Order: sequence, then structure tokens, then C-alpha cells
Amino acid sequence: MDVILFTVFNGLLYGMLLFMLSSGLTLIFGMMGVLNFAHASFFMLGAYFAYQISKYIGFVPALFIAPLIVAVCGAMVEKYALRRVHKFGHVAELLFTFGLFYIIEELVQMVWGKVPVGYHVPEFLDFTLFSMSGMGYQAYAMFTLLVSIAIFFALFSVLTKTRAGLIIQAALTHPEIVSSLGHNVPRVFMAVFGLGCALAGLAGVLAGNTLGTEPSMALSLGPIVFVVIVVGGLGSLKGALVASILIGVLQTTAISLDLSINSLIETLGFAVDLESLWHILIDLTISQVAPILPYLLLVVMLIVRPRGLFGNRDV
Amino acid sequence: MLTNFIKILLLSITLISYASISKAEDTIKIAIIEPMSGPLASVGLDLIEGLEFFAERINKAGGVLGGKHIEIVPYDNAMVAEKTIQQLRKVIDDDIRYVTQGVGSNHALNIIKTLGKHNKRNPGKEIMFLNHSAVTTSFTNELCNFYHFRFDANVDMKVAALVSQMTKDPSIKKVYLLNQNYAYGQSFQAAARRLLAERAPQIEIVGDELIVPFGKILDFNPYVSKITSSGADTVLTGNWGPDAARLIKATANSQLKVNFYTIYAGIPAAMNSMGVKVSTFNPIVQVTESHENDPSHPDWLKEIDAEYMAYANKSPYADRQRFMMDMFAAAVNEAGTADPTAVGWALEGMTAKGAHGDVHMRAEDHQMHFDMVLSRISTDVEKTFIYNNEDYGMAYATDGWVNMADITLPTTCKMKRPKK
Repeated sequence: MDVILFTVFNGLLYGMLLFMLSSGLTLIFGMMGVLNFAHASFFMLGAYFAYQISKYIGFVPALFIAPLIVAVCGAMVEKYALRRVHKFGHVAELLFTFGLFYIIEELVQMVWGKVPVGYHVPEFLDFTLFSMSGMGYQAYAMFTLLVSIAIFFALFSVLTKTRAGLIIQAALTHPEIVSSLGHNVPRVFMAVFGLGCALAGLAGVLAGNTLGTEPSMALSLGPIVFVVIVVGGLGSLKGALVASILIGVLQTTAISLDLSINSLIETLGFAVDLESLWHILIDLTISQVAPILPYLLLVVMLIVRPRGLFGNRDV
Repeated sequence: MLTNFIKILLLSITLISYASISKAEDTIKIAIIEPMSGPLASVGLDLIEGLEFFAERINKAGGVLGGKHIEIVPYDNAMVAEKTIQQLRKVIDDDIRYVTQGVGSNHALNIIKTLGKHNKRNPGKEIMFLNHSAVTTSFTNELCNFYHFRFDANVDMKVAALVSQMTKDPSIKKVYLLNQNYAYGQSFQAAARRLLAERAPQIEIVGDELIVPFGKILDFNPYVSKITSSGADTVLTGNWGPDAARLIKATANSQLKVNFYTIYAGIPAAMNSMGVKVSTFNPIVQVTESHENDPSHPDWLKEIDAEYMAYANKSPYADRQRFMMDMFAAAVNEAGTADPTAVGWALEGMTAKGAHGDVHMRAEDHQMHFDMVLSRISTDVEKTFIYNNEDYGMAYATDGWVNMADITLPTTCKMKRPKK
């Protein structure tokens, strides 16, 4: 029981980190239909801005200012570039954000250099809050967990319960009607893209110090974020949350299992003698394949249910 | 921030101007193929800067063969193994007879294979590979070649040094092996298993894990909980980059007390990314051929360190580039010619001054041998590490030395040698 609770808790911690990373991406896709390849780059910008700001005026101001700057960057990108590309269709948008990814990576290297920068967990949250099964939990990890839960509820209520959320949703499906009602549709799009980037930036502020802030971070984070939003259903916030936690718990549980097909056969009382190549396969433990499981889930999901868990349209 | 940009600009200007001047002079060229762009560019650029510094030192002291200068010619492989081959072809076309590389054993393997064919087909035009840091053991075993010289200790030797040091600490009883699942991590794992069984039968292996490499794992908490429940007191790992930094961060954050015995977890970039608090929470022991704060660090090397500091604004990390260049110059002088075959014969069995006694190039397999120092990251040091004027506030403090004899391992190399 203790072990299960412990694993689920670790999985939840990791899952909420994934949710924070992917919420902005799924928001932008759900509201605008743009698959933003440069999402992880905005995440990286958030981490670097937070590093720079917290170096001078501390972590707490950075927590607010850095996402704001990223939001402005995102809004500018939408206003001056993405909007022009928009009329050429989704492929053009995709290619544009793909290019943006490389531009941001080069810019970051020019400004902050190519080695990791020293962005660390703030002193006042760097203590052990409680222990479970002999493992201590840092206050900062709990703080991150709380922030990501707060993000989910705030986003969810804004989009479904408020007038602004209604206009945003209507602007995507019926832009002509919304604009004839007197709303500025391009500005709504700009705000949504900015908000999505701000969420990525906030994730960067919170996770940059635990994952390490370096120019290659965007590249290594890109794939897993896409897995989350595809499994959850493109554009579904609820889906992103469920998929994140699912992947988090799945991976954490898998890592703690040292079972292999061979060990299973052995416990049943048989001994197998196979050729070496096959031996590698049956000796493979679940913990070794754990990091591939999310991608396996992605493939299975695309075959069985292409719209994802909570999506309302096929990929 | 901006200074970095200016530096890159200045560096490229100097590189271009160097290239134009040197064409007129009669120099001995060494091509260096390393990443100058992409995520590992900083490593490559630092190495090039270091080699240029040591070449310049030799040139200022009169050069080789009575006045010839050594020139370092950089080639960018962008950390793509295929590009290394492309750039090597360019080196061949440019008629450069010496090539050096070290970041990434897969790149080194490409060079060894390509040069193997080239040297067989072009007698009299052989090219020598001066390997400064690529550590895969097979390069000096079954893949050994007369025109390959390795100036760094190989994985097996480094693991031998780590294990020998571990036997000196009686409190180490249970060790957890955690490595990256690719060629290098697997060879680390194999060497660790074998050497622990041979040299430290009293130490029990309580965990043996291979992980998906290169920063794919974001959350190391499950691994930390496995280490916790195994009761290990020491983690022996070959991990580098984010795979090492995240593991050590997660361990410190969950207040788990273990020793880390590593090859690369303590390199300067990793140290800075982890920060002082995480880097010193648990002992992070690493192995090199020298470090600045070692009490036995000789005065003549301290002078060179100070010169390097003034030149590059960086603390020195290792000594191998220095003795590689010095030995190369000595070998050229001894051979009396810049022909790689003659220089190769001179390099075989050569001995030079090192930080802790002599360093020795074993003739049998062209593997360098030297005493190695085990050190841990500490804030209680005389000189803290400085990188591009940024003070990291910590550096390495010596745990102990392992003698050359303890890391001298048998080789399976059967080398075919050219005529003298």
C-alpha cells in the first residue's frame, strides 16, 4: 500500500510538470488551430529570463515578470508574423513555428552562451517539507505542484465560465459572426497566442532550475509535450491534464519494476536457453523500457482512438 | 551576455586572419575536428582555444625543427558523426598530415576507420590521429592502429582508478551502478562489474541500471527512490550532461546521502548547472590527471596555468592537451621531420613530464599512462573555478592519487607497424 501511494505521488508530481509544459500548447491549438512547434522554445525563454531576472531582483518578481515578457514576445510573433502566415493555411504555420524554433535557439546561444547557466532553486523554498518512505520532498517541488494545479483551474474556469472565454471559443469556430458582433478577432487570437506562450514561459521559470537551463533544453523537451497533447486529445485542456498524469504515473511505476519476461519465466519454474539476440529481448526489464512507454502510448492511441482521450476532432 | 557575442566575432576574425597569414609561412598543421556549432559548441570552442594556446607556447619558445611553427586548423563537425567524415575528407584534401579530436567516441571511431583506409591506400601520405579525449577502450585494443595515439585514459582505466579509490574507503559497502544505455555507458558498466569483482569483492553491487541517455529523462525521482530502497551508500556512474546533473539534483533534493563516483559529473559546466548547494550536498568524486588545487601540483605547471588563465579567462580543467602538444613537438624534433610515420616511431614509448611524476605513451597499444587524481567538488579550496570571468565559487579538492601501475591494464592490441 505504502509503495503504491508513494509511486502514485511521484507520478503525480511528474505528471503535473508535464501538464504545465503542455497546457499552453494545447490551449493554442484548441483555440487557434495552430500546432506551435516552437512551444518548447518559449519554455526555454521563460527559464533564461527567470535566470536573468532572479540574478538581479530575486525569484518572486521573476515568477511574474518572466512569463509576462514571454507573453509579449509571443504576442509580437503572432501579430507581426504568424498572422501574415495564417492565410496560407496550417502547413505554412507549422513550417513557420518550426523555423522559429531554430531562430530562438541560436538567439539564446548568442546572448547567454552555449554552456548551462546557473539557474537554481530559490533559497527560501530549498528545504525539505516532509518525508515519505525515506525520501524527502523539497518545498519547491510542492510549490510547483500547487502552481500547476492552480493553472488548470484558472484556465478551465476562464475558458468555460467567463464571457471572455465564450468569445475566444466563438472566434475560432465562427470568426465572421464574432467580428460582426463588434469583437476584434485578430486581437483575440493575439491574446490567446500570448497566453499560451506565457504558460510555456511560466513552466520554464518553474522547471528551468530543476531540469537545467541550457540551449539544448527545448530540443529535448519537444517530443514529450506533443505526446501529452495527442494522447489527451488535441485542444482539450482536460485531456492534457489526464494524459499528463497518466504518463507520469505510468512511467514512474514502470521504472520501479525490475521485471523482465525472463524473470517471469524463471519464477514460473522454467529455464530458457535462447540465442543471444533473443536473450537481450527477454532480459529487457520494464524499467529499461519505461522512457519509451509514452511514445508507445502515442502510437497505440493514434491507432485505436486518433482523436485522443478527450479530443473532439481527429489528428 | 553581449561580451559573448563580441568574443565570437573577435574569434572568427582572428581565425580568418590566422588562416590568411599562415598560408605564406612554413608551418606544421594540426587539424582539429570538434563541434563549433550546435549544443556542444562550447566544449569544442574551449578545446580549440586550449590547443591554440599550447601551440603558441611552443612557437614562442622557438617552434620545432629549428624554427617551424605549429598551427591549429579548426574544422566544425557540429557534433554530427557524418560531418566528421566530411571534414576529415577536407583535411585530406588540404594536405594536413595530423588530425586531433576528442569529443564523442563515435566521431573518433569514424576518424579511425576513414584514416585506416586512407593510410593503407596512400603510402607515404599517411595521416596521424592524435586522440585527446575519446575514451572508448577498443580504440587501443582490437581497433588499435599505428597512426592513432590516445592521450587520455580510456574508460577501463578511469573506472579502475575510481574502484581503486573506493577500496580505500572502508565505509563503502554497497554500490549502485547507473549508466546511460549506449556504447560508452555499457562499457563503463562492464568495466565496473569486472573491476569491482576483481579488486573490491567486499563491495556488494545492490543495483545495476541502464537508463535512456541524452536528457530524455526529465524526472529522476523514481531512480532516487530505487537507490534509497536498495540501501546503497555509493553510486558509480558514467553519466554526463543533464543525465548526471538531474540525477544529482534529484538526490540532493530528496535528502538522500550517497557518494557519487563519476568520470564526468564534476566537469565545470555540470558544476555550474547544479550550483554550490547541490554540488556539495553529497561527495561528487571525479577522476582526472591533474587539478589546480592539488597540494602536489608542481610550480612549473602552476605557471602554465596562470598563463592559460590570462589567455583564456578560464581555469584549467585537465593537463592532457598540454602534454599532448609538448610530446608532439618533442617527437617531431626527435624524428627530425614532420612525417607522421617517423613521428609515430618517436612517440612510441615516449615519456614526458606530468603533474604527478612522468607520463608515458605505451608503445604496445599507443595508450597514454599516468597517475590519476581523485577529487571532489568543494568550496573549501585555494582557487575557485573561473569560466569566462564568472566565478563558480567552488573547485576540486584532492581525495587521493592512484598510481599508474594500478590503472595499467593488459591490452589485446596486435599492431601492424610500418617500416621505420
